[in-house]
Amino acid sequence: MPIILDHLAPIPLKERLLQGRSDIWNTHIRFDDGERIKVMAPSGKGKTTFVHILYHMRFDYEGTVWVGNKQSDNISRDELSQLRQKKVSIIFQDLRLFPQLSARENIELKRVMQEPFHTSSRIDEMAEQLGIQRILSQKAGLCSYGEQQRIAIIRSLMQPFSWLIMDEPFSHLDTTNIQKAVSLIEEECSRRNAGFILTDLDDDTHFPYSRKLNL
Amino acid sequence: MPELNILLKKIIRTGAGRNRHVMAMAGLTIAILLILAAVQIQANYHDLLYNKNNQDSIANFLVVNKTITDQNLGTTGLTDHEINDLRKQDFVESVGLLTPSHFKASIQSASDRFPFYTDIAFESVPQEFIDIASKDWKWDEHALFVPIIAPNMFLDFYNFQFSFSQGLPQLTQQVVKMIVFKINVYGPNGMVTLNGRVVGFSDRISSLLVPEEFMRWGNQFFARNQDRKPSRIIIKTKDPGNPQLSSYLKEKNLSADADKTRFSRYRKIVDMVVNISGVTGIILLLFALLVFTLFIQLTVASSKEDIQLLIILGISPSQLHRFLMKRFLPGILGIILFSFVLLGFLQFFVHQILSARGIHISVLPGKTTVFTAILIAVTIGWVTSRSIKKYIHFPLTKV
Repeated sequence: MPIILDHLAPIPLKERLLQGRSDIWNTHIRFDDGERIKVMAPSGKGKTTFVHILYHMRFDYEGTVWVGNKQSDNISRDELSQLRQKKVSIIFQDLRLFPQLSARENIELKRVMQEPFHTSSRIDEMAEQLGIQRILSQKAGLCSYGEQQRIAIIRSLMQPFSWLIMDEPFSHLDTTNIQKAVSLIEEECSRRNAGFILTDLDDDTHFPYSRKLNL
Repeated sequence: MPELNILLKKIIRTGAGRNRHVMAMAGLTIAILLILAAVQIQANYHDLLYNKNNQDSIANFLVVNKTITDQNLGTTGLTDHEINDLRKQDFVESVGLLTPSHFKASIQSASDRFPFYTDIAFESVPQEFIDIASKDWKWDEHALFVPIIAPNMFLDFYNFQFSFSQGLPQLTQQVVKMIVFKINVYGPNGMVTLNGRVVGFSDRISSLLVPEEFMRWGNQFFARNQDRKPSRIIIKTKDPGNPQLSSYLKEKNLSADADKTRFSRYRKIVDMVVNISGVTGIILLLFALLVFTLFIQLTVASSKEDIQLLIILGISPSQLHRFLMKRFLPGILGIILFSFVLLGFLQFFVHQILSARGIHISVLPGKTTVFTAILIAVTIGWVTSRSIKKYIHFPLTKV
C-alpha cells in the first residue's frame, strides 16, 4: 500500500514552507511498501502537520495525498476507521492516551478495536521489554511522560498495519529505553512486512532507514 | 466484542445528568402505560360490543314496531318488503323476528300455599338475540317444563309494588328460578297444562320469552287465527344513537323501545376516557422522547473529547453507534416490557371484577395492545438510533 504525495502544501504554513527547500512539500514523492522513512526538520517546520495530514486528521492543504488507492480528502468515515484499524497505526507526539484508563486498558483498547492481532499476553511481554510492566494497572494520567510514551508505543503495535507513523516517538526516553523501543518496533514492523515514517528533529541511526528526507 | 464495550463503558460516561435520565424514563413509563391502556380500553370495549359471551352485553338491541296511530289500528304487521329494507340498512347488523303467541294462555301456581293466576302472552325470538346462556333454554314435546325468560322489570314490579299491595314476600331472582308453575294453553279442542319455570331475567326484550320450538308448537295447534305477520322485530345495531337510524325509523313510521340511550352514554364516556388517555399518552411520549434525545445529546457532549479521541484511534461509527444503542436501548425496552406487564395485571384484575358481574373481557391484553407496544418500541428505537447517529457525527478534522 504505497503512500503518494503530489505537490502537498499545508495552507496555514504555505507561505513560510515554500520559501525553503523541502524533499516533501510541493513536490511529487512516493513511499513504497516496507520502506523505513526518516523525516527530519527543526521545530516549526510542520512535522506534526505532515503526520496529521498522512493520518487524515486535517484536510487544510493544497495538492493530493493518496494512501493506498484512496485519495485522502475523498474518504468516508467507515473507510477511515478501517484504515486506522488495519492499515495505518500512529504514535502521536502528544501521545493521546485516555488518562482515566489504566496503562493496560489504553493498550487493550487498540488490541480489541478490531480482530485482535496479538493475544493479551503479548501486552505483558512488550511491557516487560520496555520496562513498564509494574505500571500497567496504573491510571495513564498518573504515569510519567516517559512511561506514557512507552504505553503509546506499545498501543500502536497492537493492531495490524502496513504503515506505522511516529511523531517524535522517543522524545522523552533515555538512550537505553530508546534502544529497547527501537528493537520492539523493528520486530513488529518486520512481523507485518510494514514500513514506517518517523519524524524527528535531528538525524539518528536508530533504524536502518531506507530514506532520510528533509521537510 | 465484549472487551471493547467494557472499555468504552469506562471512557464514555453515561452517568451525566442522571436525574434527567430518571425523569425521562419515568415520563416514558407513564406515557407508554397511558397509550397501551387507551388501546386496551378500546379493545375491551370492542370485546363488550361484539363478544357473544357477554351475559349483559352493551351492544345495542332495539325492538322495533309500527307506531300505532288511529289510521293503522289492527294492521300493525310488518311486510316482508319492510323487513328486507330494514335489513339492507348500514346501521343494522342483524334482524330477528319476534313471534307473538296466537293462542290464549294463562299461568297459575302449582301449589295452593302460594296461589296466583293470570292470563298471559308469550313471544319468541331467534337464539342469537337472547342474552341469557342457560342450558335449560330448549323445549320439545317431551320436555319436563317450558323455560321462560322474564324481563327484569317484571320482578321489580312484583318486588316493589305488587308484593306490598298484596302482603306477599319479596323474591330474589334465584328464588323465582326455583318456582315451578303451571302453564295452561287453550285451543279449539280444549286446554293443555304444562309446567313452566323462569330460567333467566333479561333487560333486552320486555316480554315473556319462550323457546321458538314451543312457540311453533303452540301456534300450530292452538292458534286462533292464521294471520302470522310479525308485528315486532328486534334489530342489532352498533349505535342506537345513530341519527340515520332514528330518521329512518321516523320516516317509515316505526318506533323503537326508547331507553337504550344509556348505552350510548356509556360509549361516550368510554370514548372520552380513551381519547384523553391516548392524547395525554402521545403528548407525554413526545415530551419524554424529547428529554430522552436531549439526554443522549448531553451524554455524547459530556464525553465529546473522549469520543473524538476514539474516532482518531480508529473506532468506526457503527461500533460507537452499537455501543450507545446497547447503553440506552435495554432501559427503554425494559420500560416497555414493564408497562406491558403492569397493564397485563390491570387487565387481569378488571377481568376478575367484571366477570363477577357477568361481563366478559379477555384475561390478557389483546393483539392490538401487543402490536402497539411493538410499534412504540420500534419508534423509540428509531428515534434513539437517529439521535445517536446525529450526535456522534463529529467533524473529522480534530488536531
